[in-house]
Amino acid sequence: MSDSGMEEEEAPDLICELENVNGLVDALTAVRWKRQQDAVLELSEHGIVLIVEESGCLQAKVYLKRELFIRYDYKARGRPRFGLSLGYFVDCLNAFSLPGQSSVIQIQYPGPDMQLLLKSVDSLDASICAEIRTRIPDTIAWNYNFEPAGANPLTFTVKSAALKEAIEDLEWPGSSIEIILEPDPPSVTLRAEGHGDLQIDFMYYVNSELLVAFQCDHRTSFKYKYKFLRATTSNMPSTVIKENRGSKLSIGRGGMLKVQHLVSISKPSVSHTYVDAVGYQQPGRIAHIEFFVKPEETED
Amino acid sequence: MKFKAFLTDNGVNLLEKRFLPALEKTGKSCHLYLTRDHALFLHNLLNGDGVHSVAQFRKEALFHDYRISSNNDDRIAFALDLSLLLRALRSAVAVASEYSASAATRLEIKLVKKLSPNSTQSMPFLTLETRGYKSAVIQDIPISKPLSRAQVTELQSALESAQELPPTLVQVPDLNQLLNLVDRMKQVGDVVNLFISRHGDLSVQVSTTVISLGAEFRRLVVIGEQTNAPSEDQNLSAQTRSSRSISRGDGQSVQVSVKHFAKSLQCHLARPDCAFYGIAPQGSCLTVIFQFFIPGSRETDKSISLHCRLPVLDPGSG
Repeated sequence: MSDSGMEEEEAPDLICELENVNGLVDALTAVRWKRQQDAVLELSEHGIVLIVEESGCLQAKVYLKRELFIRYDYKARGRPRFGLSLGYFVDCLNAFSLPGQSSVIQIQYPGPDMQLLLKSVDSLDASICAEIRTRIPDTIAWNYNFEPAGANPLTFTVKSAALKEAIEDLEWPGSSIEIILEPDPPSVTLRAEGHGDLQIDFMYYVNSELLVAFQCDHRTSFKYKYKFLRATTSNMPSTVIKENRGSKLSIGRGGMLKVQHLVSISKPSVSHTYVDAVGYQQPGRIAHIEFFVKPEETED
Repeated sequence: MKFKAFLTDNGVNLLEKRFLPALEKTGKSCHLYLTRDHALFLHNLLNGDGVHSVAQFRKEALFHDYRISSNNDDRIAFALDLSLLLRALRSAVAVASEYSASAATRLEIKLVKKLSPNSTQSMPFLTLETRGYKSAVIQDIPISKPLSRAQVTELQSALESAQELPPTLVQVPDLNQLLNLVDRMKQVGDVVNLFISRHGDLSVQVSTTVISLGAEFRRLVVIGEQTNAPSEDQNLSAQTRSSRSISRGDGQSVQVSVKHFAKSLQCHLARPDCAFYGIAPQGSCLTVIFQFFIPGSRETDKSISLHCRLPVLDPGSG
């Protein structure tokens, strides 16, 4: 307390606290498509964004709004960005999610040596701590400019579970998947050609249970690499499916595909220890996850 | 050389449900050392590496009608495969439960020599015999040749030197929680740094150049040499407190293998009532002592004891 005045200047860019570590682990795992993966974290007064990228063709972002946190003290000027290993970050967070216990985790950046510091703050006498070394991120702008393809958006929303299943089923035919949007009859087709052909149709009017929303005014088709498409659903958290959520897919200029999932992060894993807290919690605190997939180069 | 006894219900329960599953995690094979009064399961006492573990039972804790004789002061020791013993015991329990409707079954355990099918030489076995009203089920567990007199002496002296207590022991709050953490630590690194102070601090930490992951506990119950935590240290970080404590001489740290540390925590399968960690003098090893209470009381059950000693990778500081 006594030296708080002195620390004023050196206050860390961010100290935030989160109640449900499992939810955070779920959200981050959703964008973890391989073991060794570098991520960039971007801090702002609105929240934290985690970005991962691969081969210039696939990018994913996890948006953690400040409302998800029970404490969010942001003191930085500008928007600090730093890189770290996503794998280590998730492994560390997992250490905080104790079975049968709810734990409040504190995240601080930077530490004395520019680390990301994680600490459990439930009890004064027992705590788990982790430090992850950060690095200066690549200066290349990782932003995939997603722009609408025309005046009317090309977009559809499909049940996340159905999307995941469809993409899994497309594994055997081959490496390239064509996504076709057809206004009449309104439908979405996923087609793979390779060792064999497989086509999966989602008809908007026939099965509105699966295809929840649909917007398209002209026939559109683009091809995407299977492995990138699969990365968008392969680690979808089980809560997304349990809660029967939908995923929104949009096709932008040049065929850029955007896939959006919603992951709920606020539900405490064990409700009975949280009886008092449930009252004031917002019913659904959600992390947004976005994937951007570039289409395959076409010959024409 | 003769050994024959009947396992009590409590003994079967202790071994089958608690100790053998825990000991199996320490190592598949161990020495069973039988004396006039005790039965001991010993891991790695003769070969230096690995976790030393000693589980000791007073004969009454496991057996009745316990008979042992050997020309080495009635001491017998041999190596056996714990998973085989556990399997045999489980099936004996299953058989016994089928019989038990009619009458009490007796589970006899004894040492025998038998001709094995493909050999002309007779081999030693530990035999479990479940005798029911009309039939009996016999299971032979192959064991090593009994240890020689010299080896038994060596085992006995290793055992005696393993009894020495660290000057300070701290009580670990929640083995399960720690085990969960250590499972994560295994993914980070191979070496865990452990710090224990006389005022009840315990911290465990794995670090590499990129990452460090650990837990710290304060104000734990201390047995043995203890001091009060200096008040000026209250608000310092764990790292600063431990380095100050080491330089003052009231704390000590050692490095042990994460795998060994995890194995020591697996002992919670034996359902101990308390667990204590301590560092042996000169940081020679990390000792873990498990305490068992007489059921329904807070009194130590002196007929059962379990402790482990973890080899230290680096004598550390302090």
